[in-house]
Amino acid sequence: MATTQKPAAAEENPLLEGLRLRRTPDPCALVIFGASGDLTKRKLFPALYSLALRRLLPEKFGIVGVARTEESDDQFRDAMKAAVQEFGRDAFRDETWDWLAERMRYVATDFAEEEGQQRVVTALNELDEKYGTGGNRVYYLAVPPNAIATLIHEIGEHRSAEGWTRLIIEKPFGRDLASAKELNVELQRNFDESEVFRIDHYLGKETVQNLLALRFANGIFEPIWNRQFVDHVQITVAESIGIEGRAAFYEQAGAIRDIFQNHLLQLVALTAMEPPIDFTAESVRNEKVKVLRAMHTPGPKHVVRGQYGPGFVEGEEVPGYRDEEGVARDSMTETFVAAKLYVDNWRWADTPFYVRAGKRLARRETTIAIEFKRAPHPPFETSVEEELRPNVLVVHVQPDEGVSLEFAAKVPGQGMTLRTVHMDFLYGGAFRTGIPEAYERLILDCLLGDATLFTRADEVEEQWSLVDAIVAFWQRDRPAFPNYEAGTWGPAAADDLVKRDRRAWRRH
Amino acid sequence: MATALASIAEIERELGAQRMGESGEPMQRTSVMTHLAWVPEQWVEAAEDVLAGLAERHPSRTIVLVPEPEADDGIEASVEVDCYPVGRDRKVSMETIRLRLCGNRVQAPASVVEPLLLPDLPAFLRWRGLPPFGERPFEQLVDTVDRLIVDSTEWPGLPETYERLAEIFDRVAVSDIAWARTSRWRPHLATLWPGIAGVSRVKVTGTEAQAHLLAGWLRSRLGREIELEHEAADKLVGVELDGEPVAFPPGDPPNPADVLSDELERYTRDRVYEDAVRATRM
Repeated sequence: MATTQKPAAAEENPLLEGLRLRRTPDPCALVIFGASGDLTKRKLFPALYSLALRRLLPEKFGIVGVARTEESDDQFRDAMKAAVQEFGRDAFRDETWDWLAERMRYVATDFAEEEGQQRVVTALNELDEKYGTGGNRVYYLAVPPNAIATLIHEIGEHRSAEGWTRLIIEKPFGRDLASAKELNVELQRNFDESEVFRIDHYLGKETVQNLLALRFANGIFEPIWNRQFVDHVQITVAESIGIEGRAAFYEQAGAIRDIFQNHLLQLVALTAMEPPIDFTAESVRNEKVKVLRAMHTPGPKHVVRGQYGPGFVEGEEVPGYRDEEGVARDSMTETFVAAKLYVDNWRWADTPFYVRAGKRLARRETTIAIEFKRAPHPPFETSVEEELRPNVLVVHVQPDEGVSLEFAAKVPGQGMTLRTVHMDFLYGGAFRTGIPEAYERLILDCLLGDATLFTRADEVEEQWSLVDAIVAFWQRDRPAFPNYEAGTWGPAAADDLVKRDRRAWRRH
Repeated sequence: MATALASIAEIERELGAQRMGESGEPMQRTSVMTHLAWVPEQWVEAAEDVLAGLAERHPSRTIVLVPEPEADDGIEASVEVDCYPVGRDRKVSMETIRLRLCGNRVQAPASVVEPLLLPDLPAFLRWRGLPPFGERPFEQLVDTVDRLIVDSTEWPGLPETYERLAEIFDRVAVSDIAWARTSRWRPHLATLWPGIAGVSRVKVTGTEAQAHLLAGWLRSRLGREIELEHEAADKLVGVELDGEPVAFPPGDPPNPADVLSDELERYTRDRVYEDAVRATRM
């Protein structure tokens, strides 16, 4: 995972000793399928530009954009330049852009067309020749889910005889266990698992990785990170936005496939996993898979789904889900899901993980809250004890990235009055170097061949297995949608889910 | 806002008051270190420029010590709490304490600084100019901090002066800005291995400190005598090995705040630098 390493040849070359060398990716060409899409504009090119600015891309590098839209190399460069200027996090520097633009090619084709694939191969061969990319290829599949299987097949058919090949596949990976397995079989037919990088951009977020640092680099947390000390865990992935014109995708996916299956279950796995023996891709992913396997399927009473109706978000009136463009008037797609999950292992037996994710909620927030058991016998008056709240350790994934701890403190003055106070660590407050975008980290890791922050085949299948079980019992009933107002924290049933256990969702 | 303060208690009181902010709500303080800077009067302007570039990258309590041995005994201090925005509706504060050590206070700087160090956080001392090795103010502060940061470019009498520096390596970790400024060249020269193994003469066009340190580095790493030829320049612009010029390394040279900032991220001894310093004299 680290971007520095002790050079392997240090024993032979004495001049390397003590140098803080940055790992540099091998020469390679990056092919982006879906090059005219939103993801490419908003995330991929701004990330590539930031990597180029920091000289993290290999000197011998090239990019081929592939999409159906008819445009020339220059039109593609202009569009991506505008995207970098609009969405990039760094100041725009002509010399950096020129370096990147010179290495960009564009191929307009349907993904399944044989002739188009040949033109991609020709463009790649030209990059090999001109920039010395050496036959090494990274294929980024930023395409709709229904195009992925075809592309995997085509890329497998046309893979370079020289150099290495890697595939980055955007989520969602399949739409259920069966389709995910089919994709995995197709992948295994043409590629080794080490060549496949299933992306979940949440894993590229600094704060998500910081969760591992918090747990495994500090002596104080891990001893109490278990059922003996933790009362329950709450994980929230809340968005205040609606579907932002993605009705075609969202109608098929819903909150359970869009967020629950990937981001939410990743956060559960990272929170619950055992310490890996080292920080290699296999060790970390082995531990995450163990958590997913230990999760038992929640019954119907332990899962709540919802769909937003009209309401107000940040003072602005917003339409209900069924009134969004492209959404069926009688749509039964869920925009909210909450669940009570259990990880049945030695560490977490009987400790509930309450999770929820939704759109058009009161605010954008992703948090992991570890609520500890109350002090066993606080020697204070009953009235004081009632005011006491349990300690909560909150990892703020976004926004306001950081960690906070809630604990009780005495109010200065006569008598013993207690109040809950917060101790905050703000990521941006302590480290002012600028937090890299998740896509920067993940693209660079793929170029370096490090799959630690990507999802493995068995991991994604375990995720779908859980989702399939939930979706199966959803087929049996038809809830009264919409059941929550936009700008609130979801349906009342989600509150009941927690209240039944005499607990409550954290107040935000 | 600067207020003249004459005791530690007054400094602490003023820091507490300024941290309250205009709204009456306490500002959040984030610190990762205490950063001490020993800045004789002639270095004040240069030091302030670097500190300005450093503040946001390393939230810290910065204590600027300006010695004024000729003045009447006492301390004169001003404090400044600066805020910068972090995330949504939040601000984080950082503190700068400017302390004039007057008269006999110059001889006991540690006793002034100790009560102001942030507990449990590393303390770094940036010493501008040539440290007065063996003299009380310097020796006291070296034993107070975790890391000493110097810039041997500012020193006269090289390479002999490095001998005194080497004597304190076992007491405190040392960073040298002059050494940091060779950091683009060293990996570049390392790529010339194994051809570079037999080199017997190096010509360095740069500062005197950079020339001695690069030569010392090559001698100590390669384990052989290497003759140094130095051509003066205000920055490192060229290296020749046995008369053959080495191509310029890629990338832009870092600015002064970045160089200091990188050194503030190191907490452990730099043994390779220490070896290079010891080998500056053939």
